Amino acid sequence: MLIIEGLTRRFGDRVAVDDVCLEVPRGAFVGIIGRSGAGKSTLLRLVNRLAEPSAGRILWDGAEVTGLRGRALRDWRARCAMVFQGFNLSGRLDVLTNVLVGRLNKVPAHRSLLCLWSDADRAVALAALERFDIAELAAQRAEHLSGGQQQRVAIARALVQEPEIILADEPIASLDPRNTRVVMEALARINRDYGITVLCNLHSLDIARSYCDRLVGLSAGRLVFDGAPDALDADAARRLYGLEAADVMDAARPGLASPAPSPFLAHT
Amino acid sequence: MSPARVLTLHEAALADRAGLIARHPAVFRRVTAARLGTSLTAAAALGLLAFGLWRLEFSPGRIAGGLAQLLHFLGMMLPPDPGSASRAFLILRGLAETLAIALLGTLLAAAVALPLGFLAARNTSAGRLVHFLSRRALDSIRGVDALIWALIWVSVVGLGPFAGVLAIMTSDIGTFGKLFSEAIEATDRRAVEGVTSAGGGRLARIRFGVLPAVLPVMAGQVLYMFESNTRSSTIIGIVGAGGIGLMLSEMIRTLEWGVVSFIVLLVLVAVAVIDTISGRLRAGLAG
Ligand SMILES: Nc1ncnc2c1ncn2[C@@H]1O[C@H](COP(=O)(O)OP(=O)(O)O)[C@@H](O)[C@H]1O
Ligand SMILES: [Mg+2]
Repeated sequence: MLIIEGLTRRFGDRVAVDDVCLEVPRGAFVGIIGRSGAGKSTLLRLVNRLAEPSAGRILWDGAEVTGLRGRALRDWRARCAMVFQGFNLSGRLDVLTNVLVGRLNKVPAHRSLLCLWSDADRAVALAALERFDIAELAAQRAEHLSGGQQQRVAIARALVQEPEIILADEPIASLDPRNTRVVMEALARINRDYGITVLCNLHSLDIARSYCDRLVGLSAGRLVFDGAPDALDADAARRLYGLEAADVMDAARPGLASPAPSPFLAHT
Repeated sequence: MSPARVLTLHEAALADRAGLIARHPAVFRRVTAARLGTSLTAAAALGLLAFGLWRLEFSPGRIAGGLAQLLHFLGMMLPPDPGSASRAFLILRGLAETLAIALLGTLLAAAVALPLGFLAARNTSAGRLVHFLSRRALDSIRGVDALIWALIWVSVVGLGPFAGVLAIMTSDIGTFGKLFSEAIEATDRRAVEGVTSAGGGRLARIRFGVLPAVLPVMAGQVLYMFESNTRSSTIIGIVGAGGIGLMLSEMIRTLEWGVVSFIVLLVLVAVAVIDTISGRLRAGLAG
């Protein structure tokens, strides 16, 4: 279980994440929605500790994650894998090595730095690639792959970390519709088959509705919605997205227009 | 009657000229501070040039007088001629030594500069103090020319190619360190972040996030420096640090102009060959 308590991150006078409280049980598939600049990326980066909080705490299974240092911090990062909008692969390294980076934390440094991966590690990496139908690309340079293929490599890297939670920061933002489906299906399968918790930032409300079993809405760093996808009515979406609302919603969607009890939290 | 014709932009502007001048006086000013500044700077630069020419006893007459001498020497350089077969062999051996000095010096410099480059790069350094100190250290090494390093090393380890290798190496550590650290700072932050997010430490970040991107760049820089060091190591030979340079300076002193032009031609050919090969290799690395 992931517990976030009063999490705040400031950049100068700007508050990117503002006093966010959130509880995510194991195995959940949670979509984090909100317009760009709402603080979605910062929130995920705080959980992986790529960013340091200005205030607040993060707990995983009751143990505090904020404040971990050195070895313990790297272990935590290995347990909460991250998938990025820009894939964040090493372009000139081959696909297999990029995936094996996900095993770094389980291999002694002198072996990993010399790329002396064990057969077991190679097998795990290849199995992950096979799961996403890209095993035959194992020897290619990552930079020669298409965006959809690169994102699948990144998800394979996340998977071989054998994480307990996967944080995906707008994993489909730079992909076409077909690859969008492939990548979201991959995340959904990981969630279903292995029970790995998924926290996924999404710009598109429709995608969020189809894949997530719970939505969390951020606006200007504050948590302004938390509930089932059905509970997010058109009015709430408009408040969440402002002028961008038309872009992220399928306007013809029935049911959206019918008023539902406001799921907004006290923060607004 | 036809309606009033619409004025073209040109006509409208001319009709409203007085109004435009009144609304934007700054645009119409002839003498501006910036223009005045430019003129003054140009005048000062010209004055400095004139003063320099006078102070350093620049004299067109002496060039004209020397020109005849130069033509005379050029005439004696033709045809290039090593004199004897044994001397031709000596010259070739000197050239090979010069190339060896350049190659060894360049590779050693690159090897030493690699870790220094990481320490001097903002994104891979170990703390602000280390970053600052390694930057300054590289700057100071780079501030001293290879020729001066050659004089220093000759007096430390004696005459010969060993001093030459050391001279090339020391002067290039600074250059390589700076080039390497800039290549490292220019690498994509996202690849490094990917390694960090998977639980990688500092060395893993460098190994999997930075090195794959910068190694080809560095190899290209090493090849380029090898090219340019072939020229430098000819020069440092003159102060006794091994290679063809020593023989070249002796031949100039003893006025054996045929041999001089033979050596110069050989060096030119060697540099051109290395230039071509390394150009091909660098193009391959970039792909
Ligand atoms: N490293 C940073 N330095 C300064 N400001 C930042 C930084 N990262 C994010 N921000 C600011 O924090 C706010 C939230 O950004 P972000 O978390 O990227 O939003 P989102 O992912 O929802 O688009 C934005 O206003 C952004 O400009
Ligand atoms: Mg973002």
